Amino acid sequence: MKLTRFLLIALSVSLFVSCSNDDSNDAPKGVYDNGFFILNEGSSKGGSVSFSSDDFSTVVPNVYEAANGADFAGVYLQNIFFNGDNAYIIAGGSDVINVVNRYTFKLVSKIETGLITPRYGVVKDGKAYVTNANTYSYINPATGDTDDFIAVIDLATNKVESKIDLNSTANRIILENNKLYITDSSNDKVLVVNPATKTLEAPITIGYSGDSMEVKDGVLYVLKSPYQNRGELVKIKLSDKTISKIAFPESLDGSGNLDIYGDKIYYTVNKSVYAMNTSATTPSTTPLFTASLSTDGYIYGFTVKNDKFYIGDGGDFKSSSKAYIYDLNGTFIKDLAVGIAPNGFYFNE
Amino acid sequence: MTLKRLSAFCLLLLCQIISAQKDSITSLKEVIVSDANLKKYSNSQSVLKLNDSVIAKNEALLTDLLNFNSTIYFKEYGRGMLSTVAFRGTTASQTAVIWNGININSQMNGSTDFNTISGSDYNSVSVKAGGGSVIYGSGAVGGTVHLNNDLAFYKRFENNLKLDYGSFNTIGINYKTNISNEKWSAQIGFSKNSSTNDYKYLNRYTWKGEQRWNQNGQYDIITVNANVGYKFDSKNILKLYTQTSNTDRNTSLITETERKSKYINGFNRNLLEYDGDFGKFRTNFKAAYIFENFQYYADNSKNQYTYGKTESLITKADLGYTLFKSTQINGIIDYNRTKGYGSGFGDHTREISSAALLIKQDFSADWKNEFGIRKEFTDNYKSPILFSLGSSYQLNKLYNLKLNLSRNFRIPTFNDLYWEEGGNPNLKPESSYQAEIGNVFTFKNMSLTQTFYYMKIKDLLQWVPGKNGIWSPQNTDKVNSYGAETLLSWKKHFSKNYFSANASYAYTISEDEATGKQLFFVPFHKVNGAISYSRNKISAYYQFLYNGFVYTQSDNDPKQIVKDYTVSNLGVDYDFNFLESFKLGFQVLNLFNENYESLENRPLPGRNFNIYINLKF
Repeated sequence: MKLTRFLLIALSVSLFVSCSNDDSNDAPKGVYDNGFFILNEGSSKGGSVSFSSDDFSTVVPNVYEAANGADFAGVYLQNIFFNGDNAYIIAGGSDVINVVNRYTFKLVSKIETGLITPRYGVVKDGKAYVTNANTYSYINPATGDTDDFIAVIDLATNKVESKIDLNSTANRIILENNKLYITDSSNDKVLVVNPATKTLEAPITIGYSGDSMEVKDGVLYVLKSPYQNRGELVKIKLSDKTISKIAFPESLDGSGNLDIYGDKIYYTVNKSVYAMNTSATTPSTTPLFTASLSTDGYIYGFTVKNDKFYIGDGGDFKSSSKAYIYDLNGTFIKDLAVGIAPNGFYFNE
Repeated sequence: MTLKRLSAFCLLLLCQIISAQKDSITSLKEVIVSDANLKKYSNSQSVLKLNDSVIAKNEALLTDLLNFNSTIYFKEYGRGMLSTVAFRGTTASQTAVIWNGININSQMNGSTDFNTISGSDYNSVSVKAGGGSVIYGSGAVGGTVHLNNDLAFYKRFENNLKLDYGSFNTIGINYKTNISNEKWSAQIGFSKNSSTNDYKYLNRYTWKGEQRWNQNGQYDIITVNANVGYKFDSKNILKLYTQTSNTDRNTSLITETERKSKYINGFNRNLLEYDGDFGKFRTNFKAAYIFENFQYYADNSKNQYTYGKTESLITKADLGYTLFKSTQINGIIDYNRTKGYGSGFGDHTREISSAALLIKQDFSADWKNEFGIRKEFTDNYKSPILFSLGSSYQLNKLYNLKLNLSRNFRIPTFNDLYWEEGGNPNLKPESSYQAEIGNVFTFKNMSLTQTFYYMKIKDLLQWVPGKNGIWSPQNTDKVNSYGAETLLSWKKHFSKNYFSANASYAYTISEDEATGKQLFFVPFHKVNGAISYSRNKISAYYQFLYNGFVYTQSDNDPKQIVKDYTVSNLGVDYDFNFLESFKLGFQVLNLFNENYESLENRPLPGRNFNIYINLKF
């Protein structure tokens, strides 16, 4: 999944980008070292961030509030990316990115202009590339489907320095081999952007509903899951952009959360986790395991990391929910009390 | 007589002694109430009537009037912004707002925004607690709020002009004229309430240390009313009520970085009514056309919006017959056709017919019974048989016992049925059984009403996330609500010094049957009260509101609450006795500068001021 990718990038970037931070120049790395954050998307009243130590013995709810008092992180927290000592929390409903120290969660800055419904971000060479959904076609039929863009943020100044128009819709983004790859379920392409020249390259047509994706060994895997229709796993060989597809049967409708770990491709349907080999030509239709989530809940946030599954239970999207940890065999390890709609896990290491 | 006692009690509550005296004088003249059934069929329930003198003392919009004077709980998305209610622990669409006898809750979302209504457009605003679907239809579950324009047939030419100017550039212009004789009666009104609404958030600063304030909160509400009645003779009266309103509001930001949006909504209501009184036989025919629309601009700076409109045609025939001296019977049939079209729910038409029978039997002056039954017919949903059963018994001078049992409902809205994507055409109406016991004690200068109720609601509509994250409404929950409402009023005068006081307290449990948790945004406790004093030309009052904490999540996470708050207002006015009445008034709102909010991250203003002139000529 893109998360591991983020981390690699973030770590490599942190080697040569120095970040000044008034709060923690001389301090130890901070209380939130050696653990992970759970991003709670929240509701229209706002989202939150929870923290757990790697051994799950310490769980802290709402670390943003704990560190920053009354300051408000925003509504619909979508994504976190890292750069150096900083974590960047994207609040999609508030057009803001909160820049905090990743070890103390103290606010460093906010990126307050140049964002319109920001979604996901990646970092390369001191710059962040954040997709912006801009307007939607239901309110702006004329250009709602063609006005999405990438905000290019200078992480030295925490300002949007330019934007790259995509002439399409945009959502998830990953960085691979100096190229940005972008999917969105309401268009039929994987967009390709060269961040060096800030230009669009020839897109790869895969059909509608492409969403979660990851690169492994030069192959981009994209999971498609159309509403009330059969899904598909699309494999794109990035060297020559040739495509092969693996059809998903009806029993896997509503699949999502593609994550590749080792030589396994993991994906989820409702409360179940499935696994197939990267070399397999047919999907697995037997769950590896089914998580014991709340009655109406389903797997919302999902990551495979450190030989464990990290699962965020969407719950009813109105109440405080839980995150669940399982081992790779599907054996339950621990559940953690978190906030509303946990949608992602981000590791400090 | 219970009714007299009840209305006397209501007057007491109004804590306006001098005006109350005037009212009792004018009430001797013939006044035609717009909603006869409200008086006729509510002996067994509690009705709180707020007349124009109380309306004039409160802030212009209905949220403030009812928040400080009734047991209804309000939550506001900032001052003047969207405001919805919970009455007896029910949801926002389970309180019906009734305009001159016609249910005006939005066909699109089922509820009413109480900050789009200005109290001064009406002669009275009444709050009836408890079920009323037999008479008022969908949404009359927790209670009903009645906006009434009364037409009087006696010779007069009266004008009332109230001008307000307050903090945050809040301006109110409210004008009403009554022109009538024995044949004709006309009432024409205009109201405009606006504010730049840029108040500071108490003790809140941005991360840069700048004072936070209410950005993008400006509003402007304009309403025009024209009501005309013609009396052919003592038996036949024709009335026409019309009202047009436009609310142009931006929406307060909760973070400084958000895009600024605005919401414009309006309505046009027309009601033609005929009353025929032929001794034992009475008729009432109504035909109404109601139009409502909204436009939502997600970004102020762009001419891009989503919209919705509905047009409703309502026809109603109410035939009343006095069977015996003690027994009256009303048969009501109605037909309702609503056409809705919008960017969210397409283009649909809904037709609903219904038949109802109401019986009122007075065994004696002290013992009154009422019974009603109603059934709706429509292709859209299966409609339950609704009923109401009530009794009022005046045991002695001191004590009046009231009992009421009813079944009520709330029908699915256009959004629920047709929203794209997610609308569910297979929904059932929410329905409820409700029982209540009311005890009314009346002493010399004091009145105490205590009502205990129990309500079972099933098939509560909830939007729940489905596969692929598409949300869809389902008839999921069952809710049990119970509690007690206490209303207290007192008045006394010592020579020229008039005192009055009133208070209300609502204790509310409203729990999800499956989880046993309190519904979110239903406070366990709400208290309000007022004391007023007047002597000669001067009058002064103090009012307060205590709202207990509310959970903001269905799981009752104790960290996720809106804290309790107490807000007080102080007002004084002086009558210069120029013209019929020329009052100059001054109000301090939120006297103690309470830092509070009724919804998370939506602070309400600190201490602020209002000055007004109220002219009658």
